[in-house]
Amino acid sequence: MRECRIVSQKFDIYQSHKLDIAKEHGAYSSLKDAFALSPHEIVEIIKLSGLRGKGGGGAPAGAKWALMPQDGAQTSYLAVNCDESEPGTFKDRQIISKDPHLLLEGIIITCYAIRSHSAYIYIRGEYSQFAKILQEAIDEAYGAGILGADVMGLGYGVDVTIHRGAGAYICGEKSAMLESLEGKRGHPRLKPKRPEPEWYFGNPTLVNNVETITTVPYIIKHGANGYRAYGTEQSPGTLLFAISGHINKPGVYEAEFGTPMMEYINRYGGGIRGGKKLKAVIPGGASTAVLTAAEAECAILDYEHMRTIGSALGTGGMIVMDEDTDMVEALKNLLEFYHHESCGQCTPCREGTGWSDTLLGRVLDGKGSNEDIDKILELAKTMDGQTICVFAPAVAIVIRAFIGKFRDEFEARVNR
Amino acid sequence: MSQIEIVIDEKKYAAQEGLLLIDLLIREGLKVPYFCYHEALGADGNCRMCMVEIEGQKRPQIACDTNIKEGMIVRTKGQMIESVRRRILELELINHPVDCAICDQAGECKLQDFYMDYGLYDSKIDQAEKVHHKKHIDLGSNVMLDQERCVLCARCTRFTSDITKTHELGIVGRGDHARVTTMPGKKLDNPYAMNVVDLCPVGALTSKDFRFAQRVWFLTSTPSVCHGCAKGCNIFIDHNKEKYKDERIYRFRPRPNADVNGYFICDAGRLSYKELQENRQLEMLIDGMVSKEDEAVACYHKLVADGGKIVILADANLYTEELEAIQKYAHILGAQLCAPLESYRDESFGDDWLKSSQRAANAKGVEKLGIAQILSTDPVALLINFNHPDGSKIKAQKSIHLQTHQMEGKADLVLPLAPFSESSGTLVNEDGIEQFCPKAIWRNEPLMSAIEWIDLLQGGER
Ligand SMILES: Cc1cc2nc3c(=O)[nH]c(=O)nc-3n(C[C@H](O)[C@H](O)[C@H](O)COP(=O)(O)O)c2cc1C
Ligand code: SF4
Ligand code: SF4
Ligand code: SF4
Ligand code: FES
Repeated sequence: MRECRIVSQKFDIYQSHKLDIAKEHGAYSSLKDAFALSPHEIVEIIKLSGLRGKGGGGAPAGAKWALMPQDGAQTSYLAVNCDESEPGTFKDRQIISKDPHLLLEGIIITCYAIRSHSAYIYIRGEYSQFAKILQEAIDEAYGAGILGADVMGLGYGVDVTIHRGAGAYICGEKSAMLESLEGKRGHPRLKPKRPEPEWYFGNPTLVNNVETITTVPYIIKHGANGYRAYGTEQSPGTLLFAISGHINKPGVYEAEFGTPMMEYINRYGGGIRGGKKLKAVIPGGASTAVLTAAEAECAILDYEHMRTIGSALGTGGMIVMDEDTDMVEALKNLLEFYHHESCGQCTPCREGTGWSDTLLGRVLDGKGSNEDIDKILELAKTMDGQTICVFAPAVAIVIRAFIGKFRDEFEARVNR
Repeated sequence: MSQIEIVIDEKKYAAQEGLLLIDLLIREGLKVPYFCYHEALGADGNCRMCMVEIEGQKRPQIACDTNIKEGMIVRTKGQMIESVRRRILELELINHPVDCAICDQAGECKLQDFYMDYGLYDSKIDQAEKVHHKKHIDLGSNVMLDQERCVLCARCTRFTSDITKTHELGIVGRGDHARVTTMPGKKLDNPYAMNVVDLCPVGALTSKDFRFAQRVWFLTSTPSVCHGCAKGCNIFIDHNKEKYKDERIYRFRPRPNADVNGYFICDAGRLSYKELQENRQLEMLIDGMVSKEDEAVACYHKLVADGGKIVILADANLYTEELEAIQKYAHILGAQLCAPLESYRDESFGDDWLKSSQRAANAKGVEKLGIAQILSTDPVALLINFNHPDGSKIKAQKSIHLQTHQMEGKADLVLPLAPFSESSGTLVNEDGIEQFCPKAIWRNEPLMSAIEWIDLLQGGER
């Protein structure tokens, strides 16, 4: 397992969020190279690098950039997604608090590549401290002429504005985020019928995750192949995996795609706490199918492998559970979250999340029946594939994996 | 866009390419349940009730967000799609009170219709476990909200944000705690507010004016045209006759017409049914004394025979057929006919949507017939006024008033006239569109229209 530092290069440097320290360590040094290229050339490099969105979906970034109008005739925007509200996912906050200038550098290049002059960073409401650090970095960058009407004298203007959310997980879904940014309720929009950009006040807009954008300066400096030197053919590069739960060293550590899960858990996570046995792992943020210990043993951290074992890489935020974990309680915890966070537009999601939470509450209280468990599974079916966004299908995945893989624990509660 | 062919439930249909599938289903009368879609508001895709099966698609699709394509094969029936709908409908009912017996919407409630169709008579959820919300919220503008009956289709909020752009209504809270409410410090307050009552597919929004007045299944609907202004919005007159009593109007409702009012009407027009029924002129009066028909007719002929200059005034709300009859009659009498339109103008009423400052329903009809509008100020011997509001402004030695409602000013002879709801005829709206209104209300003792009066006074049989 190789050490790799693409977005976490400055994480261990004292006060790396300050402009002078960041600059000492190479901040903004990719801008000259970037502006020597045409916007089109940058998009092509990103396509070649195989960079995939790091907000959970893993969509190829280059293809998405190419959807932005290339003639610059219409005002366009970059909206950087830092809503990071999914349980188990806490990587983006490392970037904005430890290396905000690398994010800003990525934003400048991305804006240039899509011919936009303004970027918004949508930050999770609860991240007030991190938002403050990021704002200070933005102010410093403006002061130094790095942001503003003429980026470092390169003849291109970029403005960056922070918008803080009001505390809703659903505002991380890209179209809900843009609704919220427009000052409306964070409700996901109906999906377009064919590939097109997102829209902010009717203008074409690119939405990318913080980490996706922060990876861009490295690719410009080292080329598409420099990035492809890490990871696998289909999942090139690295990801800031986060690890939490019953382990010795919870935290955020960058690793390349293709790393075996157990190797990651043992090396970075420091193994299971108290020498206990592993019971289960939620691999990529709360909304991915939980893995049994046996499945985790052979899991490999890249998009393709995770799919073949019936789960997903998601955001790479792993939640590790040891042998003492009560899986009924664990699912209840997650269902309470989804019940609280469903935006409430779609009937199956609005009522399904609440009702499954209530039924599981019955089971936990010892008042449930096998019928209730089956009803929860039926609700999962109703929530799957019949809603505006993938929130409800994700809840379905969570329910099916928990009950499917640990049904005996649920039934034990019923018979008690 | 070209004409294409698609197959729905094994039958072929021709339609415009790109048309919304749900529009086609509605147009062809094919049954598909839906709450959130509305022709005037477009697709929002939130209720997920309009699911259909489309060949080649893995999952069921919502018809309100599907544009039709050549060769599309759609199924609205069958075990699979019906079980999907049944499951979604069951969820819709989880937090619903299901107390239709005491709900004002019963009989015209989509939720009730759908669960009858799908055989889900009662939900298996304890009341104690339901999410409870507020039940009697006065939103303003005669609209009452019961949050527990709401299915969160967002039709009402989309109406105030997209149509009136007044933004009074919104949904607050997330998940199953989401509910409709007014924005802080705001009341529902715009001249079209009551349309949300018709838009609401369930009993969550009800009209204070109508709620609990009458069960809807006792009402008869007759198409008509609002007489509130020159726009001529299309309406339904909902009325009912109880034994031994005279027929009564309970409400006006908008009747869709893309060329005139779309799907909506203004609140003033909607509530104008009340004035229509108040202060009615039902008796014949000679010098203020109630009299019989033969006496009144004799009195009429005497007043006309006394000679001198006669002026006839005609209300610009009368049907074109009535105006024509009056025009002919004036010619026979050698009287001067006049229908001043200025009297109806109310600049504070009009807006840039439906409401017109010309408040006479048939002002255009008056213009088309070339009826004079300038009132002569010369003293006249006899005034015959067919319900024009300015009757008392004319200096006449003698006057005869044919009127639908009691009016100010004295007349030597007053004859009751049938209002628009009690006769039939054509109106020309301000855009020149001719619209026919059938007779809606049949009284136990019918009143005569202008045409019938003229026939009688000219010696015809009643
Ligand atoms: C319920 C939900 C929550 C999401 N939350 C986030 C989030 O917090 N941050 C994020 O970057 N993407 C989130 N996403 C994914 C975004 O919709 C979007 O795909 C992503 O921001 C695109 O950026 P990427 O291609 O760079 O990953 C969420 C999606 C859903 C359905
Ligand atoms: S699936 Fe849930 S979160 Fe997504 S739009 Fe529908 S109700 Fe909102
Ligand atoms: S009040 Fe009626 S119209 Fe408004 S969201 Fe609820 S159900 Fe829909
Ligand atoms: S706009 Fe005029 S015609 Fe239409 S409902 Fe209102 S008053 Fe009646
Ligand atoms: S009518 Fe199609 S989703 Fe509501």
